[in-house]
Amino acid sequence: MAAHGSGERSLDAMTVGERGIIASLDCEPTIARRLMELGLTPGTVVELIRRAPLGDPLEITVRGVHLWLRRSEASRIDVSPA
Amino acid sequence: MSRPPEAPPRRIAILGNPNAGKSTLFNALTGLRQKVGNYPGVTVEKKTGMIDLPSGRRAEVVDLPGSYSLQPASPDEMIVRDVLLGLQSDTPPPDLIVFVVDATNLDRHMYLALQVVELGRPMLLVLNMMDAAAALSMRIDTVALERQLGVPVVGISAAKGEGLDALRAMMDRDVEPSTRHFREWPAHLMRVIDRLERRLPERADLPQRARRDVAVAMLLDRGEDDALARHVPADALQDARMLAHRLDEFSPNWRSGDVTGRYDAISALVAESVSAPPGERRDTRSEAIDRVLTHRVWGPIIFVVLMGAVFQSVFAWAQPLMDLIDWAVSAVGSMLGQAMPPGALRSLLVDGVIAGVGTTLTFVPQIAILFLFLSLLEDSGYMARAAFIMDRVMAKVGLSGRSFIPLLSSFACAIPGIMATRSIDNRRDRITTIMIAPFMSCSARLPVYALIIGAFVPNRWVGFLTLPGITLFAMYFIGIVAAVAVAWALKRTVLRGGPPLYVMELPPYRRPSLRSVLTTVRERSLLFTRNAGTVILLITVVLWFLASYPKGSEAVRAIEAQRVAALQAGDTAQARALELRVAGTNLEQSFAGRAGRFIEPAIAPLGFDWRIGIGLITSLAAREVMVATMATVFNIGSADEDVHPLRQSLRDAVDTRTGLKAYTPLTGLSLMVFYVLACQCMSTLAVVRRETNSWRWPIFMLVMMNSLAWLASFAVYQGGRALGYGG
Repeated sequence: MAAHGSGERSLDAMTVGERGIIASLDCEPTIARRLMELGLTPGTVVELIRRAPLGDPLEITVRGVHLWLRRSEASRIDVSPA
Repeated sequence: MSRPPEAPPRRIAILGNPNAGKSTLFNALTGLRQKVGNYPGVTVEKKTGMIDLPSGRRAEVVDLPGSYSLQPASPDEMIVRDVLLGLQSDTPPPDLIVFVVDATNLDRHMYLALQVVELGRPMLLVLNMMDAAAALSMRIDTVALERQLGVPVVGISAAKGEGLDALRAMMDRDVEPSTRHFREWPAHLMRVIDRLERRLPERADLPQRARRDVAVAMLLDRGEDDALARHVPADALQDARMLAHRLDEFSPNWRSGDVTGRYDAISALVAESVSAPPGERRDTRSEAIDRVLTHRVWGPIIFVVLMGAVFQSVFAWAQPLMDLIDWAVSAVGSMLGQAMPPGALRSLLVDGVIAGVGTTLTFVPQIAILFLFLSLLEDSGYMARAAFIMDRVMAKVGLSGRSFIPLLSSFACAIPGIMATRSIDNRRDRITTIMIAPFMSCSARLPVYALIIGAFVPNRWVGFLTLPGITLFAMYFIGIVAAVAVAWALKRTVLRGGPPLYVMELPPYRRPSLRSVLTTVRERSLLFTRNAGTVILLITVVLWFLASYPKGSEAVRAIEAQRVAALQAGDTAQARALELRVAGTNLEQSFAGRAGRFIEPAIAPLGFDWRIGIGLITSLAAREVMVATMATVFNIGSADEDVHPLRQSLRDAVDTRTGLKAYTPLTGLSLMVFYVLACQCMSTLAVVRRETNSWRWPIFMLVMMNSLAWLASFAVYQGGRALGYGG
């Protein structure tokens, strides 16, 4: 996992209702490309809306769209404070 | 209308992100003049419709599947890419692309739009949901958009039918393709792409203008792109993979090189052409609904109640309709039976053809009712929430939340369940779900369970449960355990693949349109009757033949003579008994009967004799046929009204060689386990063949399930005997 400088942490570590700015995606390259195509490009504001009843997956909003993704991916997306 | 007959219809493709309102627009434009089929070789739905353009010219409109990107991540998206690049032989590239975006969310919807603009094909940009944008006080400068994109732009509201006339007029016109480019591949990547492009052969199936996009696709391919493998020589693909590998060593992020640039272009585009009031646009209504429907406590409770209601409806509402169809089919059968002289032709029509049609039709109520609910859930936006809630559970067997509803539906019947797997976008997950769906104990197994439990399981209380209840529950449980095990094994062997990405959009809640729901129900029912129905009919006729021929053996004639004698003597009871024996003996001596004896050595280790063997063979028509077959074998006629005599016969049945009881409770248990696991439903196989588009998967299913059933029954029977339960 990427080094967490200047208050960076993973999307998965955010608290519900918190916003952050995507810093980097450390996923498998094809997955990273897909997530970026869905709007999760570095520099974009992302908000953690809620966790699913069983804790996984996570609901987020990015570019006005609500998405859910699994913690396995969210933990590899680094965000900096908004 | 006057139009020159030689004018070919204009080919127009409607394209856009999921939830852009594409299908609403397609329905509004084409009305009921739609045709639903499949793209060859895949189970991606192909919807086309004819419309009359204002000039009188006709146009064939195709509704392409909703997509997020031209770099495909699902079979649906691959079709879209292939059609647009000209790689799809049955669907040539459209003369005009009608690209639909949600006007309230250009930020995200423009990504694919820019990719399509870059293709340099004639295109219209349709801003849908302009009414919603107006309600949000958004102002969109279409002229500025047109200038920046180089394509005509029109605002509509498809749901309200606003702006459609203007759109139709624009669809009639010739449109100059745009020459704009928004992607910014870094220079070193451009050189690689150029090099790959030059490696491509000059071939008719590789259109000149698509060569660059094909080169990009080759570079990004992970060896899973079927269309590329069809159109590009293997050595060029090999080259591409080597280049990609070398690029990986330089910079692992090169694959997303063009994405950021395109989003930057979108930001500039939106800043210049959209003015919205400051502050964030949020769908407060959907968020309020989600606070309840995906709530930590209420979410799962509501989900369970909803699923219970759907499941109960499929079960309960379908039954009277299925009974009605049964009644109508047998009425037609007996009418025909009376109108025709007895003989082979009558038997073929009544017991073969009409029975086959009946079998097909009895599935339709379940399919129709299930898809009624599924499309209500899908169109309202709830389906994505259901997947969100259930994902964690399904992840444990290597699947995703989308597999839950097809599997749940399979408890009513695997056929609509398997048909419902089309909503699973990951191909491997979809096949896995199809393969395990028949392990869910369906309603057709219930009569078999009921017969055997009634015959062999004593009605005793165990704590607050009864032994028959526990046994029935155990059968459902065994099926689920087998499904989990098989899913686990498949995902680690034949269906293993690269790391999957599970991400799903949670669309705003919308009121489903009755028309679109009913269209789905009609299409699914028709698709099943037309395609699976023919296979079912064919197999029914074959099974009829096996169970009816050869006829009139020595033994049958002797019993028949006795029956005539009894009838003449006025002993109707005796005559009736002999009539049943004729039927039983006929079945015994038929091909099916002989097959039952033939397979006896194979099933004897499971505790089954040749009589059960006949039942196993005939229940291929449908599992519940087992009950009727056993009734015929034991000469008790129809078991429809009352299974008590049949239960008694099973308990009393004697093995003629040993003089001992043929069946014990252990046999019953072994037989039930066999019915849980074995693939004894030709209709399921027919629908698997239809949904996977190959015979490979249904054959795999048959072999896998029946091997598993044999092994499990063997373990139950031999294990039980070793423990002294043989009786």
